[in-house]
Amino acid sequence: MINIQDIRDTAKDLLAKGEVRGVIGWKAGTRGMDAEPVVITAPEQADELVWDPTCYHNLALYLVEDRKFLAHARKNADKPIGIVAKGCDARAIVVLMQENYFKREDVYIIGVSCENTGVVAEHKLARQLSGFAASAAAFAGDEFSFTTAKGEKKVPAREVMADRCLECRNPFPKEHNATLGEDKTGRTLAAPFAALAKFEAQGGGERWDFWERQFDRCIRCFACRSVCPMCYCDECVVDSIEMKVLPDTTAEEKANRIRWIERSADRSENITYHMTRAMHLAGRCVDCGECERVCPVNIPLRLLNNKMEREARERFGYEPGASIGGPSLVASFRDDDPGDFIR
Amino acid sequence: MEKTLDKARLNDWVAALGKTGNWEVHAPALEDGVWTYQPVESEVSLDHPNTKQPPKGFAFPQKEIFFSFEQIKGEPARLTEVKPQAPQCAVFGVRPCDGRGTVRMDRVFTDHVADPYYNARRKNVAYVGLACNVTPAPTCFCKSVGGSPVSSEGLDILLTDLGDKYFAQAVTKTGEALMAAADKLFAKVSPADKKSVDKAHADALAQPQRAVKDAAGAPAKLKAAFDSPLWEEMARACIGCGICTFLCPTCHCFDINDEVTGSTPLKGNRVRTWDNCQFPDFTMHSSGHNPRENTGARLRQRVSHKFRYFHENFGMLQCTGCGRCVSECPVGIDIVAVVNKVAEHVG
Amino acid sequence: MSEQQAYEPKIVAFLCKWCSSAGSDLAGVSRIQYPANATPITVPCSGSVSPMYILSAFKKGADGVLVSGCHIGDCHYMEGNFLARRKLHLVKELLGFIGVEENRFRMSWVSAAEGGKYAQVVKDFVEDLRPLGPQEKLKAQRT
Repeated sequence: MINIQDIRDTAKDLLAKGEVRGVIGWKAGTRGMDAEPVVITAPEQADELVWDPTCYHNLALYLVEDRKFLAHARKNADKPIGIVAKGCDARAIVVLMQENYFKREDVYIIGVSCENTGVVAEHKLARQLSGFAASAAAFAGDEFSFTTAKGEKKVPAREVMADRCLECRNPFPKEHNATLGEDKTGRTLAAPFAALAKFEAQGGGERWDFWERQFDRCIRCFACRSVCPMCYCDECVVDSIEMKVLPDTTAEEKANRIRWIERSADRSENITYHMTRAMHLAGRCVDCGECERVCPVNIPLRLLNNKMEREARERFGYEPGASIGGPSLVASFRDDDPGDFIR
Repeated sequence: MEKTLDKARLNDWVAALGKTGNWEVHAPALEDGVWTYQPVESEVSLDHPNTKQPPKGFAFPQKEIFFSFEQIKGEPARLTEVKPQAPQCAVFGVRPCDGRGTVRMDRVFTDHVADPYYNARRKNVAYVGLACNVTPAPTCFCKSVGGSPVSSEGLDILLTDLGDKYFAQAVTKTGEALMAAADKLFAKVSPADKKSVDKAHADALAQPQRAVKDAAGAPAKLKAAFDSPLWEEMARACIGCGICTFLCPTCHCFDINDEVTGSTPLKGNRVRTWDNCQFPDFTMHSSGHNPRENTGARLRQRVSHKFRYFHENFGMLQCTGCGRCVSECPVGIDIVAVVNKVAEHVG
Repeated sequence: MSEQQAYEPKIVAFLCKWCSSAGSDLAGVSRIQYPANATPITVPCSGSVSPMYILSAFKKGADGVLVSGCHIGDCHYMEGNFLARRKLHLVKELLGFIGVEENRFRMSWVSAAEGGKYAQVVKDFVEDLRPLGPQEKLKAQRT
């Protein structure tokens, strides 16, 4: 069990000594039971930091935001920025460094181990609580309890834990400057890719029926893209907005600007968006599960990315976020890559 | 007109509306853990907290085709108006916050310009509301923004759950017509019924809620805090996903695009789609300049639209306290905390 | 009584300029008869075929999509087709994962000298697509 004071003291110390210009972590939210991301810059603020199963967010996203802010302001950071990172978050940071988004020395990783537990899956919780919101929660080992308008409900932790945590074998940040908590690498609360296997047990017709329903429900809020640290492109390929309109731009040019998908949230457009995103994340997605968590209409997006991850591992021997110097999945190849499907 | 309806008769009423009145009935249903409005044939159960998406989509769908165009090369373009398919819809289970949301949407689309697409649909939608005489969700705050858990504003009928029956109050002529469609199912209101509903409403009003501390003073405070660095600080965690806007009962910004469906001959539709001021490129100019280029500016925009600009234009706050933006924000940005913090900061 | 037109699958074929596109030209000048169902699009290299082209073709109503390039080891840009092999394998898996019929997306290696092979690839593809009927799943619904 990590003692929250250790996280606070580590952050406080780094800030007091001026070793980092800020620490990205979690603090208690104002609306109910969840924690929320925070960037603290003064040592006293370290006492706000929390660590519990509502720390779902992949804070690597805020490293990206920070980097974009600096780039836009044309500033160089004089010191690294600190970040409290779970195993999955640390892997995301590795991918970003693999892609030279920033250098290793720009980030001070305060790794926190999830040990034998994981974060709450809001969608699973919603099902347990019939859609009623929890105003408070208590997390005691293997049993979590939630308070709603209908009263208190106790639920075994495993039943509301996110699939990505159940299936995780690396709940420990391999890349780090400091770590807290026991290293439980290799733990298995559920078989890896269990949710994926369950889905794939279905035949083609059932698969399509399932995804058709999901893509019809998509409202194209792009929350999945906004929350993903790896979706850092300044202009997403599906938005096609970057067309400078000058006095001599013709109507024809405007009408014919490249548009991979239309604005309408129609099924065909939604499918193209989601599949493009899955392809762009192949080998880069570290299964932090945030895309699935933030989806307001409960599309199980993780399945798409998991499919790509399993192909990467089993077919190409590739592990996302394994090492900073590693190659990218789709920009590398092996002589024995499968080619039987090619005529 | 006030009547009562035995709970056991609710489904019969719904079935009657479908058959005799040619109403399409929609009601909240739970699918994959999400409460959404689904079309129903005859089974309605009103035990939902609130739907994930507000009912604004009935009069203001996410996609609306204005007209279609076709152009054979060398000839002038031919435009064909597309009139909205506006079936009569009776939407059940609408909460008072969403009813008040409808009032605001109506103002936007009828006050200065009567939007023909919105209005063609709106006149065919009836909202059968359900009073909130249960413990409010932790994120509800209708009372502090001028609303109430038992308000009938914007609704055609307000149902109040009295345990074994519903107290049905028709608010509009349409509401009366809906009840008349199954007149035999309804019973007269007894003095005991009146007492029950008054008590239920009083109890509902007495339930504690989170509160925007001074909604009346918010417009002035927001104006004073326009240039405050507080906005960037409060929006630090914002990921620009736009969930708050898409799920808000009163957000209504839209984009219009021509969507080409064929190239020889050139064919397509002019389409209106929901747009979102939280998307980074919402205010992107074609020159590349973006006046709201950070999340602080965009948060300020949304909160100010709800608590200041709408008030300046229409004399009422645009926020009805439904709490969806608070509960659904992936990172916990909380409009109640934001408005309160701004007020405190300005002093 | 009007004759019912047999369904003719529409294929979009991305052909690399150096090998497959030349191979298709050879089929033409050699007067090899093969079905006219494929619309060829020349690309510099099979490795340059973005998954978005494939999705876009399906969205526009293609019943089948073919990507054809140089044989392994013969890529004009050295590595392009190695990258295509890996990337397009992922596309194929993803399409099957959401329930699109496996036979609708296909890859082949056709060299500039293999006019006959190109014709056979197209012929086989058309025959394999015919029983699947028109592609509706990814196609944009025209309103």
